[in-house]
Amino acid sequence: MSDSIKDFEAAIAELETIVKKLEEGDLPLEKSLELYERGVHLSRFCHARLEETERRIEILNERGQLKPAPANLGGDGPE
Amino acid sequence: MSSLFDLPFEEEPEPAAAPAPAPAPPPPPAPVPQPRRVLTVSELTARIRTLLEETFVEIWVAGELSNCKVWNTGHLYFTLKDRNAQIRGVMFRSALRRLRFTPKDGLRVVARARVSVYDQKGDYQLLCEHFEPEGLGALQLAFDQLKKRLSADGLFDERRKRPLPSLPRKIGVVTSLDGAAVRDIIKVLRRRHPNAHIVIRPARVQGEGAAMDIARAMAAIGKVKGVDVVIVGRGGGSIEDLWAFNEEVVARAIAGCPVPTISAVGHETDVTIADFVADVRAPTPSAAAEMVVTRKEDFCSRIDRLSQRLGAAMGGRMRRLELRIRALEARPGYAGFHGRLVMRGRHAAELTHAMRRAMLAALARRQRGYQALRLKLETFDLRRRLGQVRARLVSADGRLNAAAARSRHAADARLRGAAARLESLSPLAVLGRGYAVCWNADRTAIIRDASSVSPGERVHVTLHRGELTADVIENQESRIKN
Repeated sequence: MSDSIKDFEAAIAELETIVKKLEEGDLPLEKSLELYERGVHLSRFCHARLEETERRIEILNERGQLKPAPANLGGDGPE
Repeated sequence: MSSLFDLPFEEEPEPAAAPAPAPAPPPPPAPVPQPRRVLTVSELTARIRTLLEETFVEIWVAGELSNCKVWNTGHLYFTLKDRNAQIRGVMFRSALRRLRFTPKDGLRVVARARVSVYDQKGDYQLLCEHFEPEGLGALQLAFDQLKKRLSADGLFDERRKRPLPSLPRKIGVVTSLDGAAVRDIIKVLRRRHPNAHIVIRPARVQGEGAAMDIARAMAAIGKVKGVDVVIVGRGGGSIEDLWAFNEEVVARAIAGCPVPTISAVGHETDVTIADFVADVRAPTPSAAAEMVVTRKEDFCSRIDRLSQRLGAAMGGRMRRLELRIRALEARPGYAGFHGRLVMRGRHAAELTHAMRRAMLAALARRQRGYQALRLKLETFDLRRRLGQVRARLVSADGRLNAAAARSRHAADARLRGAAARLESLSPLAVLGRGYAVCWNADRTAIIRDASSVSPGERVHVTLHRGELTADVIENQESRIKN
């Protein structure tokens, strides 16, 4: 079982395939468990990706620098 | 063309026109005493010029443009005509630059102009300050012209439209920090997706230089690492206020953005060129923010559903196995069999015991793997939900307990299943190795004791495959001792 996950979209697609196989197939128990394990792995990856973005607001200034947005916009910078 | 006009103006004159040249001194008196006044061509021309320029200082003339040509001086030369007459005209480059639209042959305009004379050619012509397109407003015309041009360049092609990212890492925003749009966008993103990472590139969105500013901002934000969608727009306003979004430089910048773009200009009813070029048009800035997070929410529920199905499929598989084992166990003839065999002999007992251990270990290994995975799946789900909605802590707590109870219950069931499986499988295996079961004549009881049968009686013997019917010949009670 390859551990690599290309990206979010690919992970969802693979998870979908695995769920279908498990739902349909009368696979041997060992194979089922193997697929299940991969499915759990993918599901965790997807959940993690959904949560991974940071709560942050930044301003990109004229010089191309990223600064925290002022507090009145909901950022961490000064008012 | 140069025969039509010979470029009377190389340089644009100052707004205050140069004073007409002073009339030339009168020629010496002629010898003939005839009272006639002879003018030079220059004098006449000067008078005509004075007459025309003083009479037609600021007039409005309606007509159709033809022979439009911009020379390298930047001035526009043209002929304004109607059915019966025509007059040449010029618009200096400073006035031309102020026009929102491009003057073209065939366009009907109302020109604000004065009349001027070009002495060297004996021509008179219109010096135009401004054109208003007839019928449509100037802005509408400019809009239509740009739309046509960009469309011809393929900027509006459906094939160019990119889908929004399913899961934006960073959301780029190009708008003014002073407007309502930026607050609306932040508000929606915060409410729907508390973790959103927003990068704002401020830009002036109206007034002089706004279009260039927006274009530069688009170029800059497209380069920020991790930004994979850009919202560009502003809140509502007059058509003049929104005009920057109808400028070509903005349209090109949106088209050139390396990541998908959402235009969000004004209100629902405002349509700008930016809307045609962007990958997605949002009716308002708030709606643009909704579009970005709705995709994310779709994915959340899709993955939740998949995770649930994954768990259910595997759980179902395990339950079906368990049921099959129970069905085997429940078959008449096998119930309770194993225990009795163990009672009958040490050898059989030892074999059974070893087998039982091996099977237990194998099954337990699988069960442990399954349980560990299952736990991963469930705890992850729960952690996410708990983190997401702190306000629903109480109900989440309830769910947590319920899940824990479910999981304990399932574990118990599985353990019982495992035991049942061992019990039921072992007698089959024992028969397979050559042991047999002996029943009395009418099959109501299993014979455990030789003394319970007399020679001559009929018995039935169940083997691994098939059954024998036999008559007892001899009875040796003491051969096997417990």
